[in-house]
Amino acid sequence: MQQFIQQLINGLSVGSIYALIAVGYTMVYGVLQLINFAHGDVFMVGAMVSMYAATGRVTAYLPPWLHILVIVCFAVAFLVNKLLGRTFKQTFHKLASLLAVYFISIPALLASSFLSQHLHLGNWSMAVFVLIFTIAVCGAMGFLIERLAYRPLRERPRINSLITAIGISLLLEYGGQNSGVFGPTPQPYPQGDEGQPQLIPHLSGALWNHNGIVIQKVDVLVLALTVLIMLALSFIVLKTRVGLGLRAVSYRFDTAALMGVNINSIIGFTFVLGSCLAAVAGILWGVKYHSGEPLMGLMPGIKAFIAAVFGGIGNIAGAVVGGVVLGLIEIMVIGYLPGGSQYKDAAAFVILIAILLVKPSGLLGKNAVEKV
Amino acid sequence: MLSRKSEIIAPRPWRATALANVPLVIAMLAMIPLGQLLEGSWGQENLDAYFTRLPILVGINIILAVSLQLINGYSGQFSLGHAGFMAVGAYMAAYPAIEYSQQFSNPGACVIFFVALGICVAIGATPPMILFILLRKTKQFHRSLPAALLIATVIWIVADIASAASAPKTPVWTIWTRFLAALENLYGWIVLHAGPIAGHLLAWLPDLLRKPACFVILLIGAGLCASAVGFIVGLPALRLRGDYLAIATLGFGEIIRIAITNDSTLGGALGLSGIPRYTDFTWLYICVIITVAVIWRVAYSPKGRAIMAVREDEIAASSIGINTTSYKVTAFTIGAFFAGLAGALYAMHESSITPSSFGIIKSIEPVVMVTLGGLGSISGAILAAIILTLLPEVLRSISPDERMVIYSLLLVVMMILRPQGLLGGRELWFGKWSRTRKPRTPAREAVPA
Repeated sequence: MQQFIQQLINGLSVGSIYALIAVGYTMVYGVLQLINFAHGDVFMVGAMVSMYAATGRVTAYLPPWLHILVIVCFAVAFLVNKLLGRTFKQTFHKLASLLAVYFISIPALLASSFLSQHLHLGNWSMAVFVLIFTIAVCGAMGFLIERLAYRPLRERPRINSLITAIGISLLLEYGGQNSGVFGPTPQPYPQGDEGQPQLIPHLSGALWNHNGIVIQKVDVLVLALTVLIMLALSFIVLKTRVGLGLRAVSYRFDTAALMGVNINSIIGFTFVLGSCLAAVAGILWGVKYHSGEPLMGLMPGIKAFIAAVFGGIGNIAGAVVGGVVLGLIEIMVIGYLPGGSQYKDAAAFVILIAILLVKPSGLLGKNAVEKV
Repeated sequence: MLSRKSEIIAPRPWRATALANVPLVIAMLAMIPLGQLLEGSWGQENLDAYFTRLPILVGINIILAVSLQLINGYSGQFSLGHAGFMAVGAYMAAYPAIEYSQQFSNPGACVIFFVALGICVAIGATPPMILFILLRKTKQFHRSLPAALLIATVIWIVADIASAASAPKTPVWTIWTRFLAALENLYGWIVLHAGPIAGHLLAWLPDLLRKPACFVILLIGAGLCASAVGFIVGLPALRLRGDYLAIATLGFGEIIRIAITNDSTLGGALGLSGIPRYTDFTWLYICVIITVAVIWRVAYSPKGRAIMAVREDEIAASSIGINTTSYKVTAFTIGAFFAGLAGALYAMHESSITPSSFGIIKSIEPVVMVTLGGLGSISGAILAAIILTLLPEVLRSISPDERMVIYSLLLVVMMILRPQGLLGGRELWFGKWSRTRKPRTPAREAVPA
């Protein structure tokens, strides 16, 4: 019984991280019917960037070739638009969001580099800064991925977007393995062993240790933060105007456009929101498991996707339920099956196939009746 | 075969069939001197093995891409599990090659291995199958009874095997474990007793032919194993559509890989090594030609038209009497056969295989090739397989650090600039002299909603 409760706590903790990632998958699938394979890698970027920010390794400047590349790309875009007969103002309007991301990124990087070097690890100010910085980086990344890789293909068959998603995923993985970015080797996350400072203060050790049941502080933090974020998310989706647009777009894409919903901004917002959640999940993963590497996003990404399918893809509540259930089952398989830790990945896939065969629309999904 | 003999078509005269095969045979024969020539010249220049490996990798990727083209391009079923079938083929060739073939000198034992495996799988699959059918029958009592009973059965089987693994002596009530043990005994008995008999029966085979015979038997056996797995996977999975099917096949592929990783007979995570090497340029490209020819003939046969009709509109196809499930499973099984063939060729070229080389990335590679070449275009798949295999290697010489970054960037840019693929559903060889007219390219999206 003690072991069971212990496993339950562990499972809830792992499952809520899966749930955070799964929400991003399910929201994107809801609006675009696209499996965003790059989402797991945005999670990876979240973990790595937070690690770099916490240890004061944020570079103040983008490399010069990147600036040149960006300026050349903008110049070419303006030229092409001129040839297509658009005025400067129209082109500027089309590219405004990209220009904004570029021009905000320069002072933002300077400021965050300064902060990351001058704040002290182990203080709350550092934790808040890392949280904001990571969310900003991942949000911008999600926005750019949608804007540059998925939007040009929106009218095309979905398999093209799927291949592009795979391409972006490979780009982030191999780009991250580059020695100039993160490097291929796993790196330690700042952890609180032997008086060492850690990202979130007073987090090491157990909160509760009675009768053989140990509740780690990290697990409590993960669970509490997830619940908080889910409440905020449900507020955004159910009570705000953007959330209304999001629901309208996921209900019916073209009708929403006819009703005056700005499809592009809603989809962009969906990606940014999903990426922000992935960023938080990345930080929590790093805090919980104390290490990160460029390929770490692959398996959690796939499992989060399985969780989304399990709960009914396109359904946010379903993704949360699916994530928690998947985490629980995985931990139970590790705990109770002989040689279970080898089969934990297989367990996720078996669950996936079982749910697809029994109820393809997922646990909370609605059965869509196909009309001719 | 699942499909009924319902097509009313005039049989082709045998002379026409024979004539149509002449160019193929010539092409295959041409591979013999070509292979000799290439390997001879490589030997003289004394280049390292890296350059002799490239054409082999290209050939294996061509087989993978063309066979996936039948599944993804022609039948429109988005499959992401090709590496799983490849893994089955590789292991089912490698295991008998190491254990039974005695360095490719005993083709009889290889045949017996596949026969014994088939018998044991057939016997072993029967009770779960009957149980499954019975469970489905309980639907008439309550709607959710089959699912509940299915879960209970799975828990029963898992608990059975788990308790047998943890107990020092197998408990009496663990019938599934006992059943598995009995099957293993049966398999051992067949291999032990029928192996020598087959060896004696094939004693007349001259030494010159023993190696090729062994090789071909392993190739065909591995392909059949893979297609059997494809059939078993396809039957339930093909009820799903579009993205769901893609994810389900991905899941099956991963399950196959993880199962192999945890199987000690197949070497576990370390894989199998010491496989006799036999695949060379000639054999590989003969297989490539056979694959392309078979997929081409299937795709443009009456059955292939039905497969394409399923791709275009499943409901319309079923309304004109096409058994859509049957055609989808047929395409899946044939595709899996050639994926297994590619795996077997790979195993007998590399001489050691590990399960990690059949991961998700390996499944994604042929999908990318097929999409980049153009869905529904065999020549496009071949072209894309050649380009995408050589591109990283060319990039390696230009900038070794950034090669995969450039590769993935090119992938994204290619998809954005030319979403229909290189050839976009056409073939290179649709010309005036071609007997086959250009088919209508699919206008609808290939992955249905």
